[in-house]
Amino acid sequence: MLAWFTPRRETWLFKVNPALKFIIFFAFLLITLFNQNLSFAVWQAVLYGILFYGFSGYSMKKLALLSIPLAISFFSSALTIVLFGKGESVLWQWGLIKISEESIQHALLLGSKSLSFGFVGFTFLLTIQPILFFYAMMQQFRLPSKYAYSFIASFRLIPAVTEELQIRRNALKVRNIQFSRGLKGMYERLQMYTVPLFAESIRRAQRIAVAMEAKQYQMGAARTYYYPTRYSLMDGVFLTVMAIGLGVTLMLAFWR
Amino acid sequence: MNYSNRYAINLTNLRLKFPGEDSLIFKDLSFSVQPGEKVLMLGPSGCGKSTLLQVLSGIVPNSIELPMKADEINLPDSWGFVFQDPDTQFCMSYVDEELAFVLENLNIPRSDMAPLIEEALKRVDLHLENLHTPILELSQGMKQRLALASVLLLEPVVLFLDEPSALLDPEGTKQIWSSIKQATADKTVIIVEHKIDLIADWVDRVVLFNDHGMILADDSPSTIFKHYQEELKRYGIWYPSVWDEYKESESFKSMMHEREQVSSFEKILLNDFHGFRGTAPKIFAKKAVAKTGDWIAITGENGSGKSTLLLTLMQLLRTEGIYKVNGERVIQKKRKKQLPKGLSLVFQNPELQFVTNSIAEELTVSLHKMSKPQAVNYAADLMQLFNLPNSGTRHPYQLSTGQKRRLSVATALTPQTDILLLDEPTFGQDARNTFAILEKLEQLRVQGITILMVTHDMEIVKNFATSVWTVADGVLYTNNEMVGGVFECLHGSHLDEKHGYSK
Repeated sequence: MLAWFTPRRETWLFKVNPALKFIIFFAFLLITLFNQNLSFAVWQAVLYGILFYGFSGYSMKKLALLSIPLAISFFSSALTIVLFGKGESVLWQWGLIKISEESIQHALLLGSKSLSFGFVGFTFLLTIQPILFFYAMMQQFRLPSKYAYSFIASFRLIPAVTEELQIRRNALKVRNIQFSRGLKGMYERLQMYTVPLFAESIRRAQRIAVAMEAKQYQMGAARTYYYPTRYSLMDGVFLTVMAIGLGVTLMLAFWR
Repeated sequence: MNYSNRYAINLTNLRLKFPGEDSLIFKDLSFSVQPGEKVLMLGPSGCGKSTLLQVLSGIVPNSIELPMKADEINLPDSWGFVFQDPDTQFCMSYVDEELAFVLENLNIPRSDMAPLIEEALKRVDLHLENLHTPILELSQGMKQRLALASVLLLEPVVLFLDEPSALLDPEGTKQIWSSIKQATADKTVIIVEHKIDLIADWVDRVVLFNDHGMILADDSPSTIFKHYQEELKRYGIWYPSVWDEYKESESFKSMMHEREQVSSFEKILLNDFHGFRGTAPKIFAKKAVAKTGDWIAITGENGSGKSTLLLTLMQLLRTEGIYKVNGERVIQKKRKKQLPKGLSLVFQNPELQFVTNSIAEELTVSLHKMSKPQAVNYAADLMQLFNLPNSGTRHPYQLSTGQKRRLSVATALTPQTDILLLDEPTFGQDARNTFAILEKLEQLRVQGITILMVTHDMEIVKNFATSVWTVADGVLYTNNEMVGGVFECLHGSHLDEKHGYSK
């Protein structure tokens, strides 16, 4: 599963400081979120698309696969607004369904926004190593180490929890537990799975926390870092590229 | 000389209780340890040994808050702690990162880290080609040695070991103790452990606790093992001669007297049988037969495919080839896999098998075909057979580890069950619980139930199993084809002469 997430080649985006990348991407997504201009939104989606398809370093096959959920989110968010959105200049109407120029515009705006979020999110996730991201957040942005290490430790627990889920599924089959149909069955299932898995996970988390303190981890104490992260020339390149990208998209959208 | 230098640890009149419980765990307990001493603490489970270890290290009350007070308390400045469970000691995913985590905590510069990490691994005899190895890929024994290595980086004066080998197989147990002995020669070591045959003559001093958290005896190992055998036996401690004494006991002798094969009916037959996880073939059996009243021990290294074999027999994985239960061929449907009738599987972790809120419900929930009073009677019988608290209203999670394990075996026994599959049912159990479970299983076997049991314990294989299957690299070998290994150690034992295996 994790092997799937090895890129074909490591592009320049991999060399950017992951914490800086996170902050910049986050800021750009804020712009996307609050923007109400259709043409700017479309050009922004194009910009992020270029980053995603051009510089994530993954093979086209994998990128195409990842595009499926993006396409689904684009169409599902756009379609509802196209068909049921408000608007004056009606193009086509049939019962409740009313397609107007405004609804199409709104739909495209929303669709491009959801595409942008998808592109940026995937580009970020595909081009960082989680552990380096947390180390960089601690070193460059003073994230308290307790948050960073709790995230890192929880990554470690994922395989154990999935394995336990599998065992629980088999155990319930062996015990010949039959669930009711419908909603009640869902509730029964939820209860059957969550109680033992939570009990085990809470105990495990508690033990790991004690073990960490036994290794003299102290909240807020000065510490050194096994993975030193710093700013490099690539961060300058990244900032320049993003600034130029923003300039060009603004120009394409508003230049008359 | 300064007072605090005379002792590595000194504690007078400790009082401690668990919140919500009426009685104190320790009442005016005093305890001290000399520098360089190796101390072993023994006692019944639940007597508070592990809690005391946590008090002596300062984990209680610094990390775990418990109401406690002591007249005088001198704890070591630098200490290390190795815990029981190899899977809950690490917060990082890779070997080098985990060791570096300790060095980061100590504020050691990055440039000094690499040599220290390599040296720490050398000290515990853990040789890895690549330091950036996922911890997930290590065996349990290697994980415990890694835990020891990370603790040694703290340069501790005192080392606390809380059952470091309880969850390890014999090979891992050997490894961790040899690493501990090698790396801690000059340190003060305080150990809580039930499996003590490898350290009984290494420690300087044994402290024996009773059920009420009081020190019953505090003396050299030889004295304790000579004068307190009755207590050691009662507390279920795996002291060195426990198996020999058990084999001499009346209950064992009467059980094994004229032990005969129940019948020669073939309950399970495998022929050119394959089991898969996803599409990957994981287990293969050329031919294997289990008869009524057989007690088959399935042995093999970790990851060789023993548990997979049980899952395939239970039809929880995809299988191919001939598999007959009670003479009827089991055909696996593609979509809806059906569990073969008469088989039941007991997994390693009892809690993952419990599905209700009380012992009684737990034992009746699978009895779909019975009337209510019948089911209640049936459950009452099982509770008695397995020594479970007979009110039956307790929540399964509130039971002791031994009771949980016995309950999980009991839940597998419906009236239809005549083949019982068990995944290491005695693993991590103390001696008393182990013998209790084995005796229950023998009772079932005599009644005609066929038992297939994964185990690492050679004493169980020698003394209880009627035959042995070995799994190596995903291939199942049964008695007759086996050369060397387990079968050789069986050869010549009394079981052999009685039943004439493989002759």
